[in-house]
Amino acid sequence: MTNLDWAILVGTLVAIVVYGVWKGRKARDLEGYLLAGRGNRWYTVALSIMATQASAITFLSTPGQAYSDGMRFIQFYLGLPLAMVVLSITAVPLYRRLRVYTAYEYLEGRFDLKTRSLAALLFLIQRGLACGLTIYAPAIILSTLMGWDLRRTILVIGVAVVIYTASGGTRAVNHTNFHQMLIILVGMVAAFIVLVVKLPDQVGMGDAAWVAGKMGKLNAIDLSFDLQNRYNLWSGLLGGFFLALSYFGTDQSQVQRYLSGQSVAQSRLALLFNGMVKVPMQFFILFIGAMVFAFYQFTAPPLFFNTEEVRKIEQSRYADEYRRLEAEHRKVSTEKQQAVRELVEARRGGEQGLERAERRLELIDGRAASLREEAVSLFVANDPGAARTDTNYVFLTFVVSYLPAGLIGLVMAAIFSAAMSSTASELNALASTTIVDVYKRMIHREGSELHMVLISKLTTVFWGAFAIGFAMYANRLGSLIEAVNILGSLFYGTILGIFLLAFYVRRVGGTAAFAGALIGEAAVIWCFRSTEISFLWYNVVGCLVTMGAALIIETAIGRRGSAESQA
Amino acid sequence: MPTTDAGPPLEPEEPPPIGGSWRRLYSVVLIALAVEVVILYWFTRAFS
Repeated sequence: MTNLDWAILVGTLVAIVVYGVWKGRKARDLEGYLLAGRGNRWYTVALSIMATQASAITFLSTPGQAYSDGMRFIQFYLGLPLAMVVLSITAVPLYRRLRVYTAYEYLEGRFDLKTRSLAALLFLIQRGLACGLTIYAPAIILSTLMGWDLRRTILVIGVAVVIYTASGGTRAVNHTNFHQMLIILVGMVAAFIVLVVKLPDQVGMGDAAWVAGKMGKLNAIDLSFDLQNRYNLWSGLLGGFFLALSYFGTDQSQVQRYLSGQSVAQSRLALLFNGMVKVPMQFFILFIGAMVFAFYQFTAPPLFFNTEEVRKIEQSRYADEYRRLEAEHRKVSTEKQQAVRELVEARRGGEQGLERAERRLELIDGRAASLREEAVSLFVANDPGAARTDTNYVFLTFVVSYLPAGLIGLVMAAIFSAAMSSTASELNALASTTIVDVYKRMIHREGSELHMVLISKLTTVFWGAFAIGFAMYANRLGSLIEAVNILGSLFYGTILGIFLLAFYVRRVGGTAAFAGALIGEAAVIWCFRSTEISFLWYNVVGCLVTMGAALIIETAIGRRGSAESQA
Repeated sequence: MPTTDAGPPLEPEEPPPIGGSWRRLYSVVLIALAVEVVILYWFTRAFS
């Protein structure tokens, strides 16, 4: 990075922190600190909702996902607009009427304290660990590619977020999220423009898209129904719907965003805006990844994008073998570039010769894939714990290799913004749930507003320290990171089941809901450990089993009660 | 509508600043989703 890039990155980070502290300076009571006085307009809430969901991993990993697996990941988001409509009708007016501070507060009035506490506890566990990962994941990628010290990168992200989140609360979080989202969008658009400009002279965007499509990367919709297939239209619409319903309806990190809306109308508009914009936005991010793939068909890509694994192998006894693979890869890349150009020419010339050009490209692509597999085998032979995929490093490699000075800094600022915005919302939510559902409810009910605000700030600092600490330690956890990564789907279905019972099934009481939730969670864990079902379906399983079990238990309780009263 | 056991009555429902009614806005979002799915399907077929 040049001095200009550093200036843009550091300037953006400092501006965000200072702006956040300044914006949140007026919070004097709990409603002001935790819910921004319930005074935000829909556009602030809407962009805050989007910035909360779009972490740095969205922008680092999603293009890489399209690069390696195509665009079918878009289907993951197809259930989201449906969920926004349902929540606008149900959750928003209900939470507003009850003037709750957290989603779990509502559960005590509907069921009992133990059900409220169970839901709050599941949230604190899941989100507390995920918050550390939100910091760690981009830090490890940046550290690997840019050569930055990992701990220092974690500290910069974590400490900057804690400063403005702890001091300013929800008002600081919402307003910084708004601007961070704008930075993110500008950064991604800039990267896309450079990508198109950097294509070879005779190759337009249409040609590049056509090549990407021919090589299977523009596979946005898959109509097949297969429970083991992660991404298809049905898992996206149904599984994605349940996931979005749970995430936006019961996860405090999102609920808190729209609880801060000025009115029901403003909160609803924010959710509906998210519902309209999310799918096109994700399409754009995935399309960038597909275009990066197309770009690297006309320019030689690295054999493996994860430079940490490359560095390790080059210092091992497999170094010579790896260099041989790299030399072979360079030759194959040259042949491939020629084959792709011939394919584009054949397309322009009509169908004649097109099939022959496609077959030639397929053969060469197969050789390139074999070389990558051999390289991965070497990595694993050298270190059994080596990373076998490099999708998280693809986009950033393109950025640092091909973007001009200044734009690299802008994209880095966008990545940091994404990391900070998600982390800030998570810390804000963790503090709120700790204060409202634990401290104020069970430990110290009568504290003054200033006391509660002070404790909220200290709690934010605590969770920030926890997240930073977990991020520092995460490097040593190996496969546990994978488990934490799908933590959301392990818990969301059960929590959603509790809330759907609360919203729509009046005859189910607290005891049945509590027991149903435990059974639902057991069912999800069984699916995780004993089946090959894709994780998106866990949300459906958890929700339906929780509700079904609760209904059965409530019926049994009711029958036993009437039998005893007759005896 | 969801059940609730507590809380004061909700303030009169404020209409949306655009679209005229909430039902219409919900319809717009759902129709937009349907259009997006169709476009994505066409996109997939066109470039496969």
